[in-house]
Amino acid sequence: MYAAWTVKYKPKSITDIVGNRESIEKLVGWVKSWDDGAPKKRAVFLYGPPGVGKTATVEALAHDLRMEFVEKNASDYRTEEAIKRFAGLASRYGSLFGGKRLVLLDELDGLTGTSDKGGVKAITEVAKAAECPVVLIADSAYDQKFSNLRLYCLLIEFKKPLASEVMKHLNRVCSGEGIQADENALKFIAQRSEGDVRSAVNDFQALAQGKKRLTYEDVSWLGYRDRQDSIFNVLRMIIYGKTCVSAKRAVDMADVDIDMLFEWIYENVPEHFADPHDLARAMDALSIADVYRGRIRSSQDWSFTRYVIDFMTAGVAMARQNTKTSGWIPFKFPGRIQALSRSRADRAMRLSIGQKIKRRNHISAFRASKEVVPYLRIIFKNNEEMAAGIARWLDLNSEMVAYLVGSEEKAESILKQLG
Amino acid sequence: MSFEMWAEKYRPKTLDDIVDQREIVDRLKSFVKSRNVPHCIFAGPPGTGKTTAALCLTRDLYGDIYREHFMELNASDERGIDVVRETVKTFARAKSIGEIPFKVMILDEADNMTSDAQQALRRTMERYTETCRFIMCANYSGKIIEPIQSRCAPFRFSYLPREEHDKYLKCMAEKEKVRLTEEGVEAIFEVCGGDLRRAINTLQASASLGKPVDAKVVYSITGRAGPADVQKMIKTAMTGDFLGARKQLRDMIQKYGVAGSDIIRQMHSEIFRAEIPESWKIKLADVVGEIDYRLVEGADEEVQLSALLARLVEAGFEMKK
Repeated sequence: MYAAWTVKYKPKSITDIVGNRESIEKLVGWVKSWDDGAPKKRAVFLYGPPGVGKTATVEALAHDLRMEFVEKNASDYRTEEAIKRFAGLASRYGSLFGGKRLVLLDELDGLTGTSDKGGVKAITEVAKAAECPVVLIADSAYDQKFSNLRLYCLLIEFKKPLASEVMKHLNRVCSGEGIQADENALKFIAQRSEGDVRSAVNDFQALAQGKKRLTYEDVSWLGYRDRQDSIFNVLRMIIYGKTCVSAKRAVDMADVDIDMLFEWIYENVPEHFADPHDLARAMDALSIADVYRGRIRSSQDWSFTRYVIDFMTAGVAMARQNTKTSGWIPFKFPGRIQALSRSRADRAMRLSIGQKIKRRNHISAFRASKEVVPYLRIIFKNNEEMAAGIARWLDLNSEMVAYLVGSEEKAESILKQLG
Repeated sequence: MSFEMWAEKYRPKTLDDIVDQREIVDRLKSFVKSRNVPHCIFAGPPGTGKTTAALCLTRDLYGDIYREHFMELNASDERGIDVVRETVKTFARAKSIGEIPFKVMILDEADNMTSDAQQALRRTMERYTETCRFIMCANYSGKIIEPIQSRCAPFRFSYLPREEHDKYLKCMAEKEKVRLTEEGVEAIFEVCGGDLRRAINTLQASASLGKPVDAKVVYSITGRAGPADVQKMIKTAMTGDFLGARKQLRDMIQKYGVAGSDIIRQMHSEIFRAEIPESWKIKLADVVGEIDYRLVEGADEEVQLSALLARLVEAGFEMKK
């Protein structure tokens, strides 16, 4: 099982947090002020876009100040009654063992304004009367449902860190994992993340896990993606889809074309289906989707696309019968595409040699490139005389000879024989 | 040893030179005699002499000036409808000067033509029958549309019988002064399955090593697509390492350019040799056959073969129970 790098490299200390220096200092000052008795605002409301380090900051701060840290998720405390239990936690500054306590209530966005109204009201009560520092976190503080709560909180905004700051964090991950990464590659990932450090680390892990080196070429083909529904979400919806309809709907959210999406699914299915029967079913579904792709090509009837989608989404989702969804498995970028683009020059060369073979051998250039070129490579590596004879007979240029021999030196010696 | 490509050097020049496919050759000879050729389909597996027979026929028909009377087009490279509309049509409608009133168009690998192109071709065939006769070479006549099939005389080519295959290679080895052992011939047949073009290429590549050609040499040069690699991949899959097996498959296809059809052929024979419960072998053969057919239809090699690998993972898992 993999460890998520977002967890493994979570900042230990607030000095490790990238960006938002002023906001962090404001928060530190407020927490420290509790040592002189409860301040005027007994709760802090941290808000800002996802992945910029709000929760990480609070956790690191508690660690730095050696406070007893209590973290709760607001969506677990939806009712007034539950909040009252929570309120007990915030009723004393000192904990049982003499340390100081810091209470965090995360993801307040999860509460809905109407049905959880009692919840927000109860939280407001906690904020008013807290006997220890209470931190509330949400993406946005200016939602209507928080209007009353805001009055009793110190508002601190977290902004998106700059790309250079995101890079700083990625560099830390690099050295931790022993990966050498081109600066350009990291910059590209950082810029693509648009300040979402968590997604940058996720992207980076998907690209770099298991590698020693990460080059710009490895990442540049990714292009920018829609931040609303990243391909990871789409994959999750398909691979862990519960119903055919929900798995199929994911296609509409993907901002890649069907063929590219197919590659993403094809690459990632194996690691997400541990049970061999499930795996066989899922791969079967993909192979059928591929058959329909072939039928589209030969008939030019694009309406068959709907069957391709059926099998690559719903077919895969319904394959899951025994595999439990457990653990965190990162999604990987389609390795086949990367390898293909690397071998593209290779194939072009093979094909141009195939053209030469075709002129003399009554065989299509395409077939010659697949069936004859491998034999020529063996001959060219082992027998200079025969190689020279064939090179002359096929009228190969020096580049082609060099490709077939696989070394510049030997190619020269063959070319010399050609005169 | 000569330094050109043996497959071309030893290609028969006239119908008399063709050693096998007796019935076909006899019929073709009767065409030459009567100086008339119908539209033909030459169907059969690769390396069985379809193109050779077509070339020999035109040479026997027109003699030394045969080049002026025939055209060879390869549908794998030029498969679109435009080629049929332009190149084929222009050639077909021009009148032939000389004794024989028609020319011959050889359409190689015709089963790779799109169905649109085939529809267009059908009209051209009909309209210009007087001035042009078509010989369509294809691995699978089933992929040629029905209306064209009905206009053509069908010829079914099959693999050379084993003795002919062996005799042919030994004779070539003798002419090239290459020592070819009995096991060497055996190995070539095992690897190439009767495809004579591949067999000759294999022989030449083996000979280029400058050693006597025995089984070891043959397997060493065909090693990349050889039984060893495929065996290893099957084993990897059966121990449950699907990703490892898929990686090996990907390398074979992308790095070494091995054709999917070669891999599936190897897998087919390996499955019957592998240590799998007998009842599973026939189940897997069904999957192999289905995938083989899909590959013929132009499906993605890696995607299809990895579906087969997943079945092997499943088989390995069941066996452990």
